[in-house]
Amino acid sequence: MDQIDSVHSDVLIVGGGPSGLATAIRLADLLKHHKLQRRIVLVDKGNAIGSHILSGAVIKTSVFKQLLPEVDFKDIPFDAKVKRDAVMFMGKTRKIKIPFPVPFMRNKGNYLASLATICRFLAKIAEEKGVEIYSGFSVNEILYENGKVAGAKTIAAGVDAMGNPMENFQAGTAVCADLVVFAEGTRGTLSKELIAAYHLDKNSNEQMYSLGCKELWHIPEGRIQAGTVYNCMGYPLNRHEFGGGFIYGLNDNTLALGLVVGLDYEDPTFDVHHAFQVWKTHPFISALLKGGKLLEYGAKTLPEGGFYAIPQVYTDHALIVGDSAGFLAMPALKGIHLAIESGILAAETAIKALSTNDFSEANLRHYDELLKKSRIYKELYPFRNFRQGFSGGLIAGFVRAAFLLLTKGAGISGRIRPLADSETTKRLKDFKRKTFRQRFEHELDFDKVISFDKVTDVYYSGTRHDEHQVPHLKVNNPQSFAAINIKEYGAPCQYFCPAEVYEIRTDKNGNKELRIHFENCVHCKTCDIKSPGDGISWMLPNGDNGPDYHYM
Amino acid sequence: MALTIISLIKQVPLPSEMRMGEDGLMDRTKAKSSINMDCQYGLEAGLQLKKMYPDATLMVCSMGPKSFEASLRKALAMGYDEAYLLSDRKLGGSDTFATGMAIATMLKHLGFTHDREDPFIILTGRQTSDGDTAHVPSQVAANLDIPQATFVERIQAEGETHVKAKRIIEGGYQMMRLPMPCVISLTPTGISPRKPSLKAAMKARITQLTTLSVSDIHLTSEKIGIGGSPTIVSKVVEMHSERPPLQLTVGATEREKVHHLIEMYAQETTAVEKKQRKERMTAEAPDYPVIDIRKGYKGILCWAEIADGNITRSSLEILSAARQLATQLDKDTKITSLLIGHQISNKAQTLIAHGADEVVVVDDARLEEYLVLPFASIFTQVIQTRKPEIVLFAATTSGRELAPRIAVHTGSGVTADCTKLEIGEYVNKKEQIIIKPILHSHRPTYGESKLATIIGFAFPQISTARPGTFEIPLADSERKGIIRPFTPVLEKADFRTEIIQTVRGEGGLQHLFEADVIVSGGRGATADNLRLVKELTEAFKKQGVKAEWAASRAVVDEGFAEYARQIGQTGKTVRPKLYIAIGISGAIQHIAGIKEAGKIIAIDQNPKANIFHHADYGIVGKYQDVIPELIEQVGELCKKILSVG
Repeated sequence: MDQIDSVHSDVLIVGGGPSGLATAIRLADLLKHHKLQRRIVLVDKGNAIGSHILSGAVIKTSVFKQLLPEVDFKDIPFDAKVKRDAVMFMGKTRKIKIPFPVPFMRNKGNYLASLATICRFLAKIAEEKGVEIYSGFSVNEILYENGKVAGAKTIAAGVDAMGNPMENFQAGTAVCADLVVFAEGTRGTLSKELIAAYHLDKNSNEQMYSLGCKELWHIPEGRIQAGTVYNCMGYPLNRHEFGGGFIYGLNDNTLALGLVVGLDYEDPTFDVHHAFQVWKTHPFISALLKGGKLLEYGAKTLPEGGFYAIPQVYTDHALIVGDSAGFLAMPALKGIHLAIESGILAAETAIKALSTNDFSEANLRHYDELLKKSRIYKELYPFRNFRQGFSGGLIAGFVRAAFLLLTKGAGISGRIRPLADSETTKRLKDFKRKTFRQRFEHELDFDKVISFDKVTDVYYSGTRHDEHQVPHLKVNNPQSFAAINIKEYGAPCQYFCPAEVYEIRTDKNGNKELRIHFENCVHCKTCDIKSPGDGISWMLPNGDNGPDYHYM
Repeated sequence: MALTIISLIKQVPLPSEMRMGEDGLMDRTKAKSSINMDCQYGLEAGLQLKKMYPDATLMVCSMGPKSFEASLRKALAMGYDEAYLLSDRKLGGSDTFATGMAIATMLKHLGFTHDREDPFIILTGRQTSDGDTAHVPSQVAANLDIPQATFVERIQAEGETHVKAKRIIEGGYQMMRLPMPCVISLTPTGISPRKPSLKAAMKARITQLTTLSVSDIHLTSEKIGIGGSPTIVSKVVEMHSERPPLQLTVGATEREKVHHLIEMYAQETTAVEKKQRKERMTAEAPDYPVIDIRKGYKGILCWAEIADGNITRSSLEILSAARQLATQLDKDTKITSLLIGHQISNKAQTLIAHGADEVVVVDDARLEEYLVLPFASIFTQVIQTRKPEIVLFAATTSGRELAPRIAVHTGSGVTADCTKLEIGEYVNKKEQIIIKPILHSHRPTYGESKLATIIGFAFPQISTARPGTFEIPLADSERKGIIRPFTPVLEKADFRTEIIQTVRGEGGLQHLFEADVIVSGGRGATADNLRLVKELTEAFKKQGVKAEWAASRAVVDEGFAEYARQIGQTGKTVRPKLYIAIGISGAIQHIAGIKEAGKIIAIDQNPKANIFHHADYGIVGKYQDVIPELIEQVGELCKKILSVG
């Protein structure tokens, strides 16, 4: 083996989700069209493409025709086509079907899908077009040269918890590239570094996130028609919590369901996973699940800050695509088609740069110009103030949303600047309402038939992590964490984490101490987003680590 | 000198794939697979050797369908240089004998013969997770006629021509020195396999793999596949797809509860036995002529293994298996024990007392410690002169490497790690004959979920029996038998391998994988720093049972136990005959790690603890009260454990 583990690729794409794969596919097509020979390398941290991919998912499919003009639409492995579409308002035991179509939440004509499956399909096509795809490798370092992005490097593995090389040390590989496309998905670790390094967010709002927990079930025949979509509002969320549930009837008696909640909530004990489990015990939902079997569990965050939260998505030698850039349309909560669209536009920018051999920020600005003319802009701009408007609670939010419709998105007060999600949580003493823990005191005893504790659910995510490595979750300031996060906030991480990574242990003297079980992590990144104070940093673990989603 | 490091790997389905499938959602044919875990340790051992021999070439070989290329590329991405795949439809159905033959033939074809001028070393995994026999490494070595060391944890270069290996044995380890070329099989307790490197993965993507067919290596088809395999799997039955419902103990006192537990343990066994007996009765018997194919092979030969100067418990156990078989065979069937060692003639009477009719004694100062090469040679000589129809070994680390090595010399099939042995018949419908008598060797497969019946048509029929499965026959010191000294022909080459040191006593993590009883403590058993957990383990050990203690993740996190003892981390599965969970709540990861245990007893004071949903027997009570009673009645429990096949 060479001493210097370094390789060159013309284009490096970090991440094999829909945006990264769309970039790769379109760029391969354009290279062929321009008769150019260039190397495209795509690297993903999951053990295979798709294993870290989780989405609802209801997909607007027209963009697939644009990306894959030569592919017969029937060959794309979508699940059922949406046939029924309803919005429910739930009380504790009852539900009311909202009798009129809710604007922007109509799904007729869209397709249900396992995004993991779609990504595996896209990866196959990309490989056929000559893209080199490597899964199971974590890219954890941006390489710079003369202050500009020059590539990225994979993590060095075979180290102990302190980072010291062990006998089975494997050095990381430096991939030097003319262009790096950051397609890491929500709260991308390197994207975050890139944005901070070049102040790409100087003109944008704080990104806002939601956390979604999802389960996939096999249910008895005849419970729900394939192609049925239910969106649920209300119970167990109150008017201070923004979010709702989804229930999708898939083919083969499979049911996808989940609960998505905005992370701008204030309650330090709020727990999305537990809220999801409580929601499942609602008679309407438990009747669907009864006699069924849990197949998979997963969780991920969604960037839903919308238009104003999008940073500058280009700099010298670098582009940001998909969820890493925040391309997600509210209120429909749809980002897959925008991720693909951004990948297509990134590829069109890349081909311009490759043909002129000019990867400067000035030349890559083309990407921004294309975005402004694209459907991404068209879908995001009218709702530029939508999500922020709900920060004051649902009632204020609905009033504001109504004004958005009337004012074509400007709203009543112009641009709203929200707090970061990490700042919205209140200290225990400042939180005056009943906490989540108090509200559901008697409902958190999960029966392991319909509702599950976190550790059991984590088992169904298939997640695993190498025992020997530097823990990938870092408390940024242990002292302030004990004084502020644990003492004043009551350690919200033990509640918001949907995978029981964080445990608070009380010793004999009553001292509270944080234990981090990084091996449970499902890579949702909520801790990186929601921890108050100096917070927690989500870093990249070894490649091939993390969840192993099959049909999520 | 140009050293070649050859790693033999097999691709196996991932254990995690078991979580889906039954409901038809996931396509089983697309089940993810990976390099067998033990083989990955073999790959890493090769990469470690490369550090000491920087000029060495790293070669990875496999035998299997085209889909195995994925694993070969992964090995290249870890740092291997060349990859070879022996792939041919004709190889389908090969047993370990035919597999060992085919792989050895491929290696010879590639120039790796025992007289090759440049040194080479072959590294393998200890065993595969799907086959679980541990035979192939020995059989490759025997076919190539080179030395071997199996169950090795670590290897180290010893100059240009030798390697040092740390071999795991029951209750300890041995440091050995082997000349190259040799075969080393690695246990999954050594240096963890490294991650692939992206740079190497890029190279692997475009590396040309060499695929060889049977005709490429000049192997004739009668030697491989089903035709070349001396054994066949005649039947596979589900053992129990799901654990029967929990039986809770009743009793006014802890003593009564423990007593009730022991009582129940026995009842369940008889139920299983009855069912099996019934199945046998109803089997159809067509009216074909009965043919005896033994051609003069007669009698049962057993190995009397010596460890630390004494006959091992497990080699006394196989005398009871042998006696059962003898009674089902011709009346004058004799049981012969082969006793090899130095100054051990006085042990012969012990074997006779326990049921041997005859003891063949080989006494040689060079044979004080077990060595596979001379022992295999002695066995081969004894078999060739005495022609026994059945040869039995205890499935110890030595028995499991010795039996397959001998089998290559005698052309026999071997069945590994049997839990039940009986004489039966084989109905050959094609030729319309009934072959009788023939040995039916039963062994658990697929993570103990199925029981396979293996039949061998070559004589002698060789099997290794799982230690602890059979009871030691009662000793009768008055019993008479013949003691016959035997002087084998041994060559200098038989002593090419040298034992530097044997250490018995504190073993490592290996114990957990081999223990018949695991006593495991959770958070609810830490009030006394796991003292009672350890004491119960000791009580089992005093009864001669292979017992070890373990802990749940919570307990390891608290620092009460070292990580090596943790059960329930993904990928770490134990399969003892009995698992006793004390104060363990039963997180699903823990359950996944113990689901292959034969029986599970749960002890916890919280009747709602999840562990009770996954246990066979439950005692609700304070462990501080229950365990001392259990220790007191441990002898009775051990009898019941041993009676469960």
